[in-house]
Amino acid sequence: MNRREASDEDLERVMREVPRGAFALAGLAVGALLAAWLLIYFLVFLPRGMVG
Amino acid sequence: MPISEEIIVRSELRWAAISVGVVSVIMIALIYAGLVHHINPPSNIERIDPKTLHLGGEFTEANLGTRVSGDGQVTSRIVATQFTFQPRCIVLPANRRVTLRFATPDVIHGILVSGTNVNTMIVPGYVSQVHTVFTRTGDLLMPCHEYCGLGHSEMSATVRVVPPDEFKPDAEGRVACDAR
Repeated sequence: MNRREASDEDLERVMREVPRGAFALAGLAVGALLAAWLLIYFLVFLPRGMVG
Repeated sequence: MPISEEIIVRSELRWAAISVGVVSVIMIALIYAGLVHHINPPSNIERIDPKTLHLGGEFTEANLGTRVSGDGQVTSRIVATQFTFQPRCIVLPANRRVTLRFATPDVIHGILVSGTNVNTMIVPGYVSQVHTVFTRTGDLLMPCHEYCGLGHSEMSATVRVVPPDEFKPDAEGRVACDAR
């Protein structure tokens, strides 16, 4: 394998990719959390009926 | 080309918008549940002297359990005490608005009725009141859900929800589990 020192251009290229992955991961986590909340809300909380 | 300040600010603003959106969705869902389905946290504030609870007033032994008043209002009064409920079983009709009233002479307790949204704390010095409509019939478990001492795990009661035609109050308007 041809090894070489990472150049500034390489670093910039990686730094352009990294935030995209971070946003994808965070979006997935927040989306899953919200989906779970809405599932409990519609399938458990509302059918259980009025209280107050 | 280095990542510009503008790109960072834009992505942070986008995330802020997503956060505001998520919180807004949840707030709207809660307001909808409150206004349309009448699902609200119990908010009754009513004082009662825990030292004289059993001596007079509505929480004396003779008044406990389910009673139907002259205007058809169904009310169940329960005392939560270490480590039991008095009475340990109450009968309530399905598909009819009922009121549960709790008081305690000793420490903080809490109740929930399994499979329903009924859930409240019972604090010495206050009457906890919950209005609800039970839609399923059967025996529902009502455990104490606030640690109240060594016997806490044994502290539970039964809410017996019966079809409206089987809910038959006696001459005084009372309905009890053992009388059925």
